[in-house]
Amino acid sequence: MAKARALDKRRKSIRNIRKITRTMELIATARFKKAMDRAHAATAYTRRITELVADLARSGLDVQHPLLEPRAETKRAKLLVLTSNRGLCGGYNSSVLRLALARHRELGSTADEVAVETVGKRGISALTFRGVKPDTEFTHFDDRPTFEQVDVLASRYLEEFAAGRLDRLDVAHTRFDSASQQTAVVETILPLSELAGGVTTTEPEPNGRGRSLYEFLPTAESILEEVVPTSFKIKLFKCFLDAAVSEQIARMIAMKSATEAADEMIRSLSISYNRARQTQITSELLDLLGGVEALK
Amino acid sequence: MATTTEQNVGHVTQVIGSTFDAEFPESKLPPIYNAVTIDSEQKGIQVKLTGEVQQHLGGGRVRCVALGSTDGLIRGQEVIDTGKAVSVPVGKATLGRVFNLLGEPIDGRGPVEADEYWPIHRETPEVADLSTKTEVFETGIKVIDLLTPFVRGGKAGLFGGAGLGKTVILTELIARIASSYGGYSVFAGVGERTREGTDLWLEMQDAKIGDTGRSVIDNTCMVFGQMNEPPGARLRVALSALTMAEYFRDSTGTDILLFVDNIFRFSQAGSEVSALLGRMPSAVGYQPTLATEMGALQERIASTSKGAITSVQAVYVPADDPTDPAPATAFGQLDAFIYLERSISEKGIYPAVDPLASNSRVLDPNFVGDRHYAIARRVQRTLQRYRELQDIIAILGVDELSEEDKLIVHRARRMERFLSQPFLVAEVFTGKPGEITPLSETIRSFEEIAEGKWDHLPEAAFMYVGAIEQAEEQAKQMEKKG
Repeated sequence: MAKARALDKRRKSIRNIRKITRTMELIATARFKKAMDRAHAATAYTRRITELVADLARSGLDVQHPLLEPRAETKRAKLLVLTSNRGLCGGYNSSVLRLALARHRELGSTADEVAVETVGKRGISALTFRGVKPDTEFTHFDDRPTFEQVDVLASRYLEEFAAGRLDRLDVAHTRFDSASQQTAVVETILPLSELAGGVTTTEPEPNGRGRSLYEFLPTAESILEEVVPTSFKIKLFKCFLDAAVSEQIARMIAMKSATEAADEMIRSLSISYNRARQTQITSELLDLLGGVEALK
Repeated sequence: MATTTEQNVGHVTQVIGSTFDAEFPESKLPPIYNAVTIDSEQKGIQVKLTGEVQQHLGGGRVRCVALGSTDGLIRGQEVIDTGKAVSVPVGKATLGRVFNLLGEPIDGRGPVEADEYWPIHRETPEVADLSTKTEVFETGIKVIDLLTPFVRGGKAGLFGGAGLGKTVILTELIARIASSYGGYSVFAGVGERTREGTDLWLEMQDAKIGDTGRSVIDNTCMVFGQMNEPPGARLRVALSALTMAEYFRDSTGTDILLFVDNIFRFSQAGSEVSALLGRMPSAVGYQPTLATEMGALQERIASTSKGAITSVQAVYVPADDPTDPAPATAFGQLDAFIYLERSISEKGIYPAVDPLASNSRVLDPNFVGDRHYAIARRVQRTLQRYRELQDIIAILGVDELSEEDKLIVHRARRMERFLSQPFLVAEVFTGKPGEITPLSETIRSFEEIAEGKWDHLPEAAFMYVGAIEQAEEQAKQMEKKG
């Protein structure tokens, strides 16, 4: 009996876990759709800005801006790690953290000083455990990061960069490629190696749009002054949005497979339970019959 | 055989399976446990059979268990009381020989010239004579030395379901202990495959003791009552072997090794004849006297002030259920308890010892020392935690664990694999020479794994190595191969 009861108890606890994972899967699916919409909405704006900057770059202008110039020496580096506040999202956090730790080591060997800023409780605890105590921690970004929230961060980075208190900023996050593919990446976003959105300045001109399209008023410099920081902010914001969408997808997939794994386990436990129960009944019957037989 | 008038002669009155009843004159009843023989030819069938008196039924009738096949037995055949219990030859003449339970040589090397014959039913040693000293017995097998240390003069049991490698471990222990050891060994083959017995016999002829140039078999005697034998034979063969071991203990004062494969068959044989003897079956159909029979056998395997018997017994666990009465009864008798687990053998880890279910009386700081005790318990704690986490890992994946638990899982998986070890006797199968790892090396290796010194090595590097440096070596080789 002990065995059958233990099996039944275990099956019950797995049923409970399954309920949780199934619910989490549904919630993640709903959240993913919302986050996806937000990311799409931002994409339109990002693309436009990207085009604008790319056009600017192609306009033959000698693009020069402090944010674009690599520093000769990297003294003070900063690593921003984007993770989630909540768990149950499969390898989402651990793959970002793996890359982040590798980059942290790399930066540690070149730069004099490496500051770590971490978004998300998971990342904070994991990094603290590995002896990389984050200098600044954020837990207020939920699955709907707003531009205002990111703007505060971005402005601070720009200020620090301009003041020379920061020479390099890397972001470890999960890039959203498509609904079926997300990759953990570490990108250097300060100094800006290129102008926003992954469009390189050497790209050939698309569909004959010429430099004649633009006239700069009052000057090209003043426009760059405006556009380059915005491009940086957008880029950072996009990292946050990507991370948010990827988190939901990761959770959705993780919970789906968890539910399936739980189903599988319940099935095999049920078989073992039934077998144990039947064995027990059979042996009790046999004992009884044997006794009766012997008494005859 | 012509019977003389002085002999106590009776007649077969009833034959039921492997028991038979015989009628003797009321005044000359053979006492319980006396051996009776039948040796005659009737209707062209030669019957040569020894039986053992189990019950007196009244009216001059006795019920006997046949120690051989009852084929061809006929009512009315003459039964001769031998006047004593089954007796087996003991002493140096038995060394290097193979016997059946009646003490008859079955190795085809002619008769045994023994000075003494001892009856197989004997008293257990007196309480005052028992030896209480406790000394750890090193085997060079990591998992056994670390988690279930053997006791010199103690009893160790290898529990396991079908095909988990009980016999392999037993053979390995014979190869390790007997070959490095000067004393005498006795092997009892109880109800297992005859082929395995023959393999062992041949292997013992090849194996040499240390560098003395003598074969292991020269210091060993073997007694077989294998699967093909009727239940009566399987029920008594362990006693025959034990009697030979007892003689060495009591009269030569040396340390004896007694190997029994498989003690469960002894209980099983008892249950086969139990119903035929008219006893009411008890739990799961076993004989009601299960504990008595087991106790009578096990209590005789004891170390006295004269000499020590160190015994290793394989115990089959039916349907992998350790709560089955037969293994459960044997369990209580042992000093070291090694449980072989199917889920571990399914991972390809041999010996498939379950580090959590196995235990030993001497795994105690007073006997093995604080350092050994601490690391053994630490390994068990780590593996215990890993087992608790396994459901979570199976459902949610390893990423959901806390950082501390991830580290525990990481090390537990390495420890689990490091508990495997190449065997001397399995060299032909694994292609790896057997490893004899000294206890000190074992303790140091596990300490280093527990402290995280080897976290960087891949899991596979921990499979089938001796000390931890070999794992490092194996990791390098794996890297080279890509």
